[in-house]
Amino acid sequence: MIQSNGCMVNSKQEKYLMKKNCFLLVGTLALLPVSLRAAEDWVRYNAVPNSSKVKVDGTSTLHDWSVGSTALGGYVEFDPAFDLAKPALGKVNAHCDVRIFVRQLKSDKTDMDNVMYDSMKEKDHRRIDYRLSEMVLKEAPKSPEAPFLFDTKGELIVAGVTNKVQMPVTMVRVGADKLKFTGSTSVKMTSFGIAPPTKLGVFSTGDDVKLTFEWLTARKEQK
Amino acid sequence: MNKNETAELNRRDFLKGSSFATLMTMLGGVELITRAPVQAADLATLVPFQVKCAVIGLGNWGREIIATLSRLKTAQLTAICDTYPASLKRAANSAPNAKGLDDYRKIFDDKEVQAVVIATPTHQHREIVIAALQAGKHVYCEAPLANNIEDAKAIALAAKAARKQVFQAGLQTRSDPQRRFLLDFIRAGASGKAVKAHAQWHKKQSWRMASPNPARERELNWRLSKETSPGLVGELGIHQIDAMSWFLNGRPVSVTGFGSIMQWKDGRDVPDTVEAFFEYPGGAHLTYECTLANSFDADYEMLYGTDAAIMMRGSKAWMFKEVDSPLLGWEVYARKDQFYKETGIALIANATKLTNLTEKATDETAYTTKPLYFALESFLTNANTVSSAVEDFSATFDVNDKAALEKYISEIKLQPAAGYQEGFEATVLAIKANEAVVHGQKVALPKEWFELG
Repeated sequence: MIQSNGCMVNSKQEKYLMKKNCFLLVGTLALLPVSLRAAEDWVRYNAVPNSSKVKVDGTSTLHDWSVGSTALGGYVEFDPAFDLAKPALGKVNAHCDVRIFVRQLKSDKTDMDNVMYDSMKEKDHRRIDYRLSEMVLKEAPKSPEAPFLFDTKGELIVAGVTNKVQMPVTMVRVGADKLKFTGSTSVKMTSFGIAPPTKLGVFSTGDDVKLTFEWLTARKEQK
Repeated sequence: MNKNETAELNRRDFLKGSSFATLMTMLGGVELITRAPVQAADLATLVPFQVKCAVIGLGNWGREIIATLSRLKTAQLTAICDTYPASLKRAANSAPNAKGLDDYRKIFDDKEVQAVVIATPTHQHREIVIAALQAGKHVYCEAPLANNIEDAKAIALAAKAARKQVFQAGLQTRSDPQRRFLLDFIRAGASGKAVKAHAQWHKKQSWRMASPNPARERELNWRLSKETSPGLVGELGIHQIDAMSWFLNGRPVSVTGFGSIMQWKDGRDVPDTVEAFFEYPGGAHLTYECTLANSFDADYEMLYGTDAAIMMRGSKAWMFKEVDSPLLGWEVYARKDQFYKETGIALIANATKLTNLTEKATDETAYTTKPLYFALESFLTNANTVSSAVEDFSATFDVNDKAALEKYISEIKLQPAAGYQEGFEATVLAIKANEAVVHGQKVALPKEWFELG
């Protein structure tokens, strides 16, 4: 698994756009230069249920904490010119949208999960979204089982705040029709407007958290 | 009061004028108590979610449930239901914001209601539980699930099939943090090898409720008729017997019972004094005694091990060590109470956790928070967790992939609670124990009887 110190640039998104994620996504993709070919030609892989995991690790003055989930949804699609058998290094035309509902992130402490959801303003911002904006193949696999190594740039939207993130991502082929992506990045809670939870005199949580994911997708059946 | 009266303080006066804890302290034992978990400052005011719920059946226990729900910030009681107008009116005083209904079907037609608590007479559970599950409601059904095995099985199978809903059996001690702490403590071997157990429920009372007319009398006093009642061992004993089977980590292979009407010869045909002996695999026995004719020593459960005996009274517990048992260490500093001629060591869950060091060293929780509170808290949390999982999963993945959704739900960690299997097993055991009591005979308990298939 690739370790990364993700870099981020803060940018507040218009509120009305946040409430209309679907429209935003369609609009953004339509403007991307990579979308030159008809979407139906692209090769799409959808998230496979119960086969992925995302983990958020943090610290506190009391003990380290961790929350996780397996309900990592979304899709990735590649320009048909991107040949998995003979991939060319450099920029890859791809779309990717990953999502998770905040309340599906759980630790083994229900009370603390409720504090986390409250801190993340879950009632107003139910989902965490990631949208890929750039994908560059840095290293092609030397065998069918070997990983593809990408550098990626994208937007991470948490609690209604959008931050740009970049991170290395590994992709491996699983069987004939599946792709598994792994990666990790570090973010600051405060960069998303989230105050690290504290209890005076008992504990305070650290601002830095690390996101690690393992995301399995399966090729969408052709009609 | 003269001098002699003061000196001759009798047991009844003592109980009136002092708490049960004081009594236990005077009798002398080491107490086994769960310390209330520390809550973050904002947790006190945080309302993480609310489950819209309804209570069906508004007798004494139904009103206790309403009172408990009113203390749970995650509960939003929207409807209460009873066919008897006076019961409905009385319960409405404690639930001013809930709709009062005389037909449970109206609750199931209300899409807003997410969860129902069913506290009707036992023999009415089947019809209501199955209708509730079919209407997509989460169900908390009081124990026993039914007064016959056929109904209990039908309820359990319906609950098993309702994968997207929570079904909880009203075996509230299964959700009690104190009992769960004790379970870990006992399973870790702190009391040695379990050799026998004893439980009792003693209270001088008729078990008969006052009623205005003969028709209501029959309806209200369903516990006093063999036709509708699983008897003392089925209605009261089920909770203690289930708890002891849990602690003994096994299911009995036979039960022998005896029962008589010793005090309340008022036309009832259900014994007011019963004894049952349960035989567990490996040879351990549980003796269970229940009477409505004498109150001595109230209700408690004892587990006897080769290194220590553990006494449980409500949410409190004490350990009585053998002189040759290994030193655990912490008990040197633990609170100790005298019981009869023995010294009991108080068992307190999480007592050594750092978070608890900021808490005042009191044990009030064990007195003020009853197992029903924890059971309903678990029910509401689990109902919310499962409903959220279904909603979010369906919005994330293919809604037609039912197998994937069921797998996702099955892997979610839920709050501790008795499910349909535990409820079914406890009900079968209670019904068979009552059968043994009524016929004064031994009843074998083959494992097939506890299987749902």
